[in-house]
Amino acid sequence: MSAEESSSTDTQGLYSIEAVEQLTSTPRHQIAVYYRHGLLSTVGEPESSGWTFDDEAIHTLRRLEFLRAQYGMNLTGLRAVSDLLRDVERLREEIRFLRGH
Amino acid sequence: MAVAYKDYYQILGVPRTASDADIKKAFRKLAREHHPDVAKDKKAAEEKFKEINEANEVLSDPEKRKKYDTLGPNWQDGGGFEPPPGWQGGRGGQARGGAREFHFGGTGFSDFFEQFFGGGGSQSYGFPMDEEYFETGGGGQARARRGSDVEGDILVTLDEAMHGTMRTISLRTSDPRTGQEETHSVTVRIPAGASDGRRIRVPGKGAPGSGGAENGDLFLRVRLASHPDFRAKESDLYHDLDVAPWEAVLGTEIIVPSLDGSTIKMRIPPGTANGQQLRLRGRGLPKGKTGERGDLYVVVNVVLPTQVNEEERALWEQLAKTSEFRPR
Repeated sequence: MSAEESSSTDTQGLYSIEAVEQLTSTPRHQIAVYYRHGLLSTVGEPESSGWTFDDEAIHTLRRLEFLRAQYGMNLTGLRAVSDLLRDVERLREEIRFLRGH
Repeated sequence: MAVAYKDYYQILGVPRTASDADIKKAFRKLAREHHPDVAKDKKAAEEKFKEINEANEVLSDPEKRKKYDTLGPNWQDGGGFEPPPGWQGGRGGQARGGAREFHFGGTGFSDFFEQFFGGGGSQSYGFPMDEEYFETGGGGQARARRGSDVEGDILVTLDEAMHGTMRTISLRTSDPRTGQEETHSVTVRIPAGASDGRRIRVPGKGAPGSGGAENGDLFLRVRLASHPDFRAKESDLYHDLDVAPWEAVLGTEIIVPSLDGSTIKMRIPPGTANGQQLRLRGRGLPKGKTGERGDLYVVVNVVLPTQVNEEERALWEQLAKTSEFRPR
């Protein structure tokens, strides 16, 4: 059996902190902690643009919470993992670029 | 359900023993011919272009090529198959015969590519996720648990990335236990200035939730398709330009392609070194919403004639005698 449905998702891809709380089931004080420790980025500066997040932030938050819940990682551990993942991403991009992509 | 095996070598028109340089050359030639930005029949070109890109993605990456060569048409067989490292079934990963499978169509990547080479189709971070998720055996009620997120890549041309576009992708999921298949069609907006690796969230198109909880999300990662004329690095573009030695020494005027289809006339100054990068400001990809653009770098590559006739040889020999240039 197969079902066909069409849905248009014109996601501007920007979310308020309330939306992020709801989407990631993460309380805002925890979101703020992650931000302060450089584990999460906002779109623009919170002081001028308010707390606005993009799709990448949703993904990052869910990953952070997953690591915390599943592996009991503390902030130091989360930081180490985040840095590693970021370095791996950068290396991959560099390689793709050097290979002529 | 399995996807038909694609012969990437055949698609690029190269033998299985082709060198990296041969593959690159073949790809560039085909990509130019079938690039949707320049083709007359865009629809036909799009399909062919995606196929060419897919073949190039796999064959131009030594690791991927090795895996592809090793697995070949037998990739569906269970026997003797070693999953690549990191592709673990453990935490609800996409192990065959275990978890629900995800297949993406219209992303520019084949299922084969996504399932085995990571970064696509693999289950990502749900909230929360553990082995219990897949044990919905008869009897007890499943706990209300949100479905996990799924991640896939979507191939986007530089032109699409530059101007933004709407893409329709089809998502087919099949539950290996019940054989039930569902196909969903989703329209996704790729924003102008989308850079490689950027994640776009498609709500509710991830793994189904259990116990009445909501579905996970689909995250699509933008992958910029190789362009025959440009390489992209964030919002900057790089164009590799071959020049003759005398052009580099004496200087010359050349025509450089631009992403919007126009051409740019530029001067190669005398005494340009091999590998030198000449910057054209503001001719790169858009940076975010401000309308600002990155730069275009023309990378000069001095190439030498490998065969010369007698007259040329005489001139080179005279140059060798006369010149005071001592590279060593």
